[in-house]
Amino acid sequence: MSRLTRRNVLGVGLTGAAALTLPAFLANSGNPAHASLLDDAPEDPFRDWFGIDESTIARVMAELMSGGADFADVYFQHTRSNSVRMEDGLISSASTNIDQGVGLRVVIGDQVGYAFTEDLTLDSMLGAARTAAAIAKGSNKSPSPQRFALGKTPSFYQATVPWDQVGIDAKLPLLFRVESITREMDPAIKKIGVSWSDSDERVMIADSTGRVVRDRRPMSRLGVMVTAEKGGKLQAHSSNLAGRRELGAYDENKLRQVAKEAVDRTMLLFDAKRPPAGEMAVVLAAGASGILLHEAIGHGMEADFNRKGTSIYSNMLGKEVAPKFVNIIDDGTQPFERGALNVDDEGNVTEKTYMVKDGVLTSYLHDKISAKHYGVKPTGSGRRESFRHVVMPRMRSTYMESGPHTPEEIIESVKNGIVAETFTNGQVQIGAGDFTFYIKNGWLIEDGKITAPIKDVNIIGNGPEALRNVTMVANDYKLDTGGWTCGKDGQSVPVSQGMPTVLVSKMTVGGVNG
Amino acid sequence: MASSLLDSAKAAIDLAKKLGANDVWANASRSNGVSFEMRNGVLERVEDSTSRGLSIRLWVDGRYSVHNTNDLRPATLENFIKEAVAITRSLQKDPFRVIPDSSLFQGRSTIQLDLVDSSIASVSREERIELLKKMNDRIQGQDKVLSATASVSTSQDQSAAASSNGFSGSFESTSMWIGAGVVLDEEGGKRPEEGYFGGGRHRSELPDPEHAAEMTLKLARNRLGSSKGPTRKTTMVVHPRAAGSIVGRLLSSLDGGALQQKRSFWADKVGKESVSPLLTIIDDPLVVRGLASRPFDSEGISSKPLPIIEAGVLKNFYIDTYYGKKLGMAPTTGSPSNRILALGTKNMEELIRDIDQGILVTSWLGGNSDGATGDFSLGVRGHLIEDGAIGAPVSEMNVTGNLLAMFSDLRALGNDPWRYSPSKVPTLVFENVSFSGV
Repeated sequence: MSRLTRRNVLGVGLTGAAALTLPAFLANSGNPAHASLLDDAPEDPFRDWFGIDESTIARVMAELMSGGADFADVYFQHTRSNSVRMEDGLISSASTNIDQGVGLRVVIGDQVGYAFTEDLTLDSMLGAARTAAAIAKGSNKSPSPQRFALGKTPSFYQATVPWDQVGIDAKLPLLFRVESITREMDPAIKKIGVSWSDSDERVMIADSTGRVVRDRRPMSRLGVMVTAEKGGKLQAHSSNLAGRRELGAYDENKLRQVAKEAVDRTMLLFDAKRPPAGEMAVVLAAGASGILLHEAIGHGMEADFNRKGTSIYSNMLGKEVAPKFVNIIDDGTQPFERGALNVDDEGNVTEKTYMVKDGVLTSYLHDKISAKHYGVKPTGSGRRESFRHVVMPRMRSTYMESGPHTPEEIIESVKNGIVAETFTNGQVQIGAGDFTFYIKNGWLIEDGKITAPIKDVNIIGNGPEALRNVTMVANDYKLDTGGWTCGKDGQSVPVSQGMPTVLVSKMTVGGVNG
Repeated sequence: MASSLLDSAKAAIDLAKKLGANDVWANASRSNGVSFEMRNGVLERVEDSTSRGLSIRLWVDGRYSVHNTNDLRPATLENFIKEAVAITRSLQKDPFRVIPDSSLFQGRSTIQLDLVDSSIASVSREERIELLKKMNDRIQGQDKVLSATASVSTSQDQSAAASSNGFSGSFESTSMWIGAGVVLDEEGGKRPEEGYFGGGRHRSELPDPEHAAEMTLKLARNRLGSSKGPTRKTTMVVHPRAAGSIVGRLLSSLDGGALQQKRSFWADKVGKESVSPLLTIIDDPLVVRGLASRPFDSEGISSKPLPIIEAGVLKNFYIDTYYGKKLGMAPTTGSPSNRILALGTKNMEELIRDIDQGILVTSWLGGNSDGATGDFSLGVRGHLIEDGAIGAPVSEMNVTGNLLAMFSDLRALGNDPWRYSPSKVPTLVFENVSFSGV
């Protein structure tokens, strides 16, 4: 269906800036070059980022709570994103994007009223608060807080130099370098595209318990796209590296890694065939294969679906869903990774959540509403794309821990099957449990040996069935550092995923018949 | 409203010129949206949004960049543009980066696109709730229903653009959509889900809410008892609801960027019959009330119908100013609008009647395609076709092949395009398609 028109904030197409001036929302602040805003508490912590004082927050909160709501929160956000593109040896395209606003939420039972404004004036916020509060009448009679205290947060990705203080001049050499490394790798390369994006996001969340939490979230991504020509045929592929990292993380080794991945993946396609169609064993290579977990179990474990009884995992908590050596985690605490979060978008500290422990389904992923419904502590999984969007339970970084086998043992055990190595996308139906992911590069296994490259294969399976069919897990867990973005109900959020080498004894492989 | 947006765009151009830009394109926009969602009879979510934005494209000393902001306070905006000019200056010169030629602005169509229904701005809370209840009441409490959702959303969008070389234009549109979703409880733990949504630029385009709800239930019940179908090569019938997506994949690498960067399997196909002669597609931005209709595109190019494929022969690419210059081709338009397919004479049921054995695809699940080669592999759900009739539901299957090869095996098109989409794509029938299942 056509949703409301919404602009994406952290799109890939945004660009780089000569952050010569500071964003204007800092102009009134006494200390505009403040680089470590998270740990030290300035005298007026609220005014510092958004020019909003405590009494303004108290008035807006009172308006939100005026209909007897159970709970309310206010989400201030300012994002500055930059992107730069290089094509045909020239950097002739860049963009910057400034996006700011405040989202206001009222919660009564399962009911949510939501409104936002892009004007951070008291009148605009009060108007939006009235709209959000109109959802329903509640029975809560306790007074709305007058005082707000700044909550402590962990620090998994503090930048020594925030992106809004890195000029475009510092970024261009990186694009030139990665382009020249790529060009030298193979004479068959005809076209190289390099894309860069970074963003500096500040959020401040105030809620009706009187808590205020702030988080400054850097993000960056370097991508290389390659087209090669061989024997009159063209093949194209890409690679990228992403995370909550600063400029210094993109050293020569990292640039070489991205360039080599893009070139190797592209050149493999010239000899790659389509596998036979039908059910067969699928070996998931260590790393990005975590896409299987994201689709086969992660979405189904988001507690909003379970609270509503619409997930295939709704009645499976405490049940054995996989062999004993299977542990599946959703984790917001991996330093500088794309899926890391100090606090979620409701201000709750994130954690490492075991969804499956020793083969048993242990925990859903919760936001405040679902945590209250289940009577458990929130898991720090409440996320939103931006201030324009309501919070939902979402994944952060989803992976499986290492197991008892070796990758060699796994390959040797397969009579006929494939290895899945690089991926472009996946999808799931939450209720039916059917999921898919698309393999861009892989390998054919015949009689326990890897024999030939394959490409462009969709895999389809059923979540609980695929977990039961995880028959071997190797000892080589690896987190992928690609720029994965997860979409749910029209909202995109950055995520990570990881996996050791894993054998799923049977899934349906999209191949060709005879 | 549109005139004040145009004033904002023009003011941004003057400011950017004053601050050193040689050429400027500015676009100012505003959108309002309200959406209501009901679940199991309770109003569960109300969202109200108002967004605005300014986007400027700058050409400075042979260099180019794009900048967007929603912080429109005058002092902030001046700093923003000053910085934008400085950023542009730090990039490389590119002779192909020029402002769209003003001759492209000529000949704007006088067709009344009728994209605005002014009554949509005043749809009341009570009217919305009544629509939601009508849908909900047909679903909630019915056999096997675990969850019933209904939604109503409205939007009003205004956009104005101007350029330093004389372009000026604005347009408005509205839309209203309603729909329902259902999750059923099936033996064995599966919970099949389906939805049915419809709407358009005018309120009168809405489906009847009770009909939408009944369709939702029917679609979900059709999924009960689904199983994996056989691995085989067979005839594939694609339901009109799913057909737009596969046509979109076929046409996805027709843009100048893909062509110039050698990522298009269409590159050497202009003027050649490359797919079935049954296939004729026109990109028409001037469809009255069309969901992708527009008087001009993002470069100010006046809208006109663009033949894409005529009787299996590729006629045009989507070419914007930059890639047009790089390729030595005249700009057409940089982005697609409403894609209209030439229709056949039978509807889906009639087409199926002629098929002994095959699979009807009602929806896709994941999958992808390669724009450079046309190779694709897609997850599907649907039904077996046996002896001219729709049979048992199938799921957890893939179709795999090459887009050009598959569209060469296009055997028939229906007369039944899906109406709630900018593309008018009917039932499609393909032969010799590879299905993976059991």
